[in-house]
Amino acid sequence: MDITIALPAECISNIISLTTPRDACRLSVVSPVFKSAADSDSVWENFLPSDYKQIISNSVSDSSLITSLSKKDLYFHLCRNPIIINNGTMSFALEPESGKKCYMVGTKGLSIAWGDEPNHWILTSLPESRFPEVAELKYVWWFDVKAMIETRILSLRTNYTAYLVFKFVESKYGFARRPVDSGVYIEGSDNGVRRRLLLDPSRNMARLSQDRRDGWIEIEMGEFFNENGDDGKLVCSLFEFDSFITKRGLIIQGIEVRPKSG
Amino acid sequence: MASSSSSSSCSSSSEKKITLKSSDGEALNVEKNVALEFEPAKGFLEDNSEEADDEAIVVPLPNVSAAVLSELIPYVKQRLELSAKPVQKKLIKAFDDQFTRHLSDDKLGELMLAANYLGVNYLLDVLCDVTADRIKNKSVEYVREFLGIQNDFTPEEEAELRAQCPWAFEGVDQD
Repeated sequence: MDITIALPAECISNIISLTTPRDACRLSVVSPVFKSAADSDSVWENFLPSDYKQIISNSVSDSSLITSLSKKDLYFHLCRNPIIINNGTMSFALEPESGKKCYMVGTKGLSIAWGDEPNHWILTSLPESRFPEVAELKYVWWFDVKAMIETRILSLRTNYTAYLVFKFVESKYGFARRPVDSGVYIEGSDNGVRRRLLLDPSRNMARLSQDRRDGWIEIEMGEFFNENGDDGKLVCSLFEFDSFITKRGLIIQGIEVRPKSG
Repeated sequence: MASSSSSSSCSSSSEKKITLKSSDGEALNVEKNVALEFEPAKGFLEDNSEEADDEAIVVPLPNVSAAVLSELIPYVKQRLELSAKPVQKKLIKAFDDQFTRHLSDDKLGELMLAANYLGVNYLLDVLCDVTADRIKNKSVEYVREFLGIQNDFTPEEEAELRAQCPWAFEGVDQD
């Protein structure tokens, strides 16, 4: 017997909202009754972060997004089109399968050693960047880039991975043989865990970076488990200043934190 | 399966009893406070409040079988006793878990329909939760079978819907 015909629509919506966004998309194929429940605002309101209205109103995006789209469309809009928040220092998006929060700290929000010195780093605009400006490295010996993110804005009980999102210009130098170190830790309690990342490995070496298919590549910097969001500031750090090798030609779009997939 | 302690609490045995009549014609005696948890019974009792003798009242519940009622009654009774005490939510959760853990998929569906019809919303919520857990990461075919759903989509419609979010169909559990 088909119990979904006898049960009220709110009951089916309630069941679906207790699953995940990925499940809801799949369940919409089960039957027309399921489809209308699985597309309903009450289900997707539940999958959006509880503070989504506040996040959108603090962004440069049009606040009418909140009212003009169905909740499901708004959800996928936020998955596909990161919105710029915090005075242009960060972007915000949702991870489609879980609805968890993803942030990228852009150039304006990064702390970059020598970043204010135009002979070392310059700001440039690229059409493939979500931010109006990205940082291009002219040359440094002392390479030191940090992103700080308040853990309270991250999704709770979630394993996050931090990524450097970058590319190189033609005349690059200094990243092929000399790895940079990365660390992801809570400000004031550095766990000392470091990764050694070769940003520009030669063809016969293992490549840790991945093509993002958006004009950028990314490489994992480290992981962090956000339990209750009360740990303070998360530091994502990238540095190399031991070798006194000149480094140049790196373009950084930002440092992204998003839930670890799988 | 539901060998619940019907003779446990002596205090409530002094309470008035009401007779509920199931869809398959069986008469079940329950305490009045338990019967009042069922909305149709509550309405019926209010409509027939001039009846002097509660014992003489027979409440018809034409949408619920005796088998389902005899699972529901001990649940509601114990749940009432629990919520009368200042117990922690954790205890109620443990009690609900114990009640639902061994329910077959069919029984789960029957209870959901009964809880909805009888307006026992706290049970309906628990059963929705269990249903959600049982259909998470399952294939579309599995969910149809689970809930006894006839697929009304044409193959073309279904293919189009699947094409909208192919990633949602990858890596689901084996049926």
